[in-house]
Amino acid sequence: MKKANIIISAILIAFCSFFAFLTARLPQRNLPNTLGIDFMPWTLFIILFSLSLILLLKSVFTKSKPKQGQGITVREVGGVIFLTLLVYLYVRVMSYAGFLMTTPLFIAVLMLSSGARKWKGIVAVSVLATVGIYFFFQKVFQVQLPGGLIF
Amino acid sequence: MHSMALAALFEVLHIQNLFAIMVGVVFGLFIGSTPGLTISLGMVLLLPITFNLPPVTSICLLLGLFASGMTGGSFSAILLNIPGTPSASATAIDGHEMTKKGIGGRALGTAVTSSFFGGMFGLVCLALASPLIAKAALRFGAPELFALVLLGITLICSFGQTSMVKALISGILGLIIMTVGLDPMMGTPRFTFGVVELQAGISFLPAMIGLFAIPQVLVGIAGKTRVIPQYRDKISGVLPRIRDILKLLKPMSLGALVGTGVGAIPGAGGPIAVFLSYDYARRISKKSLNFGKGEPEGVAAPEAANNAVAGGALIPMLTLGIPGDPITAILMGALMIHGLVPGPLLFQQTPQFVYSVFWAFLFANIMNLLISLSTIKIWVSVLKVPEKILLPIIATLCIVGTYALRNTFFDTGIMFCFGLLAYFMNKYGFPVVPMLLAIILGPNLEKHLRMSLIISQGDPSIFVKHPISLIFIILSAISIIGPFLAPALKPKRRAYR
Repeated sequence: MKKANIIISAILIAFCSFFAFLTARLPQRNLPNTLGIDFMPWTLFIILFSLSLILLLKSVFTKSKPKQGQGITVREVGGVIFLTLLVYLYVRVMSYAGFLMTTPLFIAVLMLSSGARKWKGIVAVSVLATVGIYFFFQKVFQVQLPGGLIF
Repeated sequence: MHSMALAALFEVLHIQNLFAIMVGVVFGLFIGSTPGLTISLGMVLLLPITFNLPPVTSICLLLGLFASGMTGGSFSAILLNIPGTPSASATAIDGHEMTKKGIGGRALGTAVTSSFFGGMFGLVCLALASPLIAKAALRFGAPELFALVLLGITLICSFGQTSMVKALISGILGLIIMTVGLDPMMGTPRFTFGVVELQAGISFLPAMIGLFAIPQVLVGIAGKTRVIPQYRDKISGVLPRIRDILKLLKPMSLGALVGTGVGAIPGAGGPIAVFLSYDYARRISKKSLNFGKGEPEGVAAPEAANNAVAGGALIPMLTLGIPGDPITAILMGALMIHGLVPGPLLFQQTPQFVYSVFWAFLFANIMNLLISLSTIKIWVSVLKVPEKILLPIIATLCIVGTYALRNTFFDTGIMFCFGLLAYFMNKYGFPVVPMLLAIILGPNLEKHLRMSLIISQGDPSIFVKHPISLIFIILSAISIIGPFLAPALKPKRRAYR
């Protein structure tokens, strides 16, 4: 965790620099008795930069390993990338194929990746959940779900 | 005043609102009794539904969930020794021992009855204290309001966090996120990168869903799947006898008192209240030696406390606009979506709505008692629903829910970004609650800070010249410096001993 904290501090300091760069480019409007729109961002920049430095120094000079968080494994990173891609694909395809066509597939893939193996169960849950959500949002609460080009 | 309370009562008694409370209670029991699902998650899943409902119906739905989620959390704690919610942790100590002795039904009955007692006690305190606090808070000007919001954020950062620096970083990142959008005073775009959707700023809803729901889905799919043991024995003797309830009045009262008090302190939350009440109940009990071995008093005190926390946490949220925990923060966000801004002005401008909240909370507690006792065997079977079924449905609900906000997938993207951020924050010890609170309170913090400085023509001593503001700022400073000083003070005490 010590190494992770040092890396996180470095990322935060880099973010602070980027944030300061953006704040410096904010448009200025000189009105009497008012504070500029960059007042709050500069204040937050100073605080975040100071806190990032404190975290960095604490991490560098702390000998014992602090028991905060658990870190992340390669398997978990793979899972995060998989889910991100799956959600991206789901949303993109839904715009064309519609909610009713894509959602059962999305749920089925998620169930498979969560360890479900019984096909009958996967099909039943994915279809019933899709119909249930569709009915609930579209019919009961009048929320227009993506229809796609087919429906 | 009385006519408004009556009008609010009739409004809550409308069939649509009673049905909303019932749905909220049933959903809350499901969420609470399912290990791994939290009340905050239940709240954010229900939020998209509330857009199209009237404000009173929305609050009925959410308060039903709030009241029953705490109770549901005790079911898995008692039967499986797995607390459904963090606030049910103390209940597991004696509750599960009672299950091992074959009196799990009695433990469940005690938990439900004590929850009702705690909930009602919290409600009475809420109804009595909040109008007085709101009246006093009406005198607050911009400096006091800024200092109060600052205190709320710093208290959340300081309570129960493993690293104060990381909690503060989380809060500041939340405030930075809220600077995106049109400037609140001049209307000039800030950090919008020309994206039209960002001009209105980052909406609460995608942020809340992302912070609370997506990490759970990611943990379930990216991490190892948890194996939850199944409860197979039959449940009996759930309905408590009057004689037994009367015997438990003392620990229940103590738990309710501690729960309401701790709940009213922003940041303290349920887990602290339940362990405090458990410890106090053990100290004053004649059967203190039985605690930890299946003593009903050890179930009654924390259960009364965790439901009383709900009433207590609503006090600062409704009167001052400072949420006490993530659940009330989400509730506050739900109200703000409907244009109702919690704080002293809510009592002045929409008093009937405030009475509706009180009535809704009363009926939520009553329905929670009746539904819990009559359907407890169903909730025991809910413990058997595997994560591999729940997580994909939760993921779909998150995506559909954020899409429903503005019928655009832009918010879904924002939600998922917050989810990824929260996942990595959890992994590396950064708490997400300060970020949530900063996102909700950020715009007010900036508005009051800038208004104060405009009033004083840029002189920051305005915060020190106003006595109430000074007190809040001193308390904020203590809450920030305290955790840093605490480790330094501990060795000295030991040396003195």
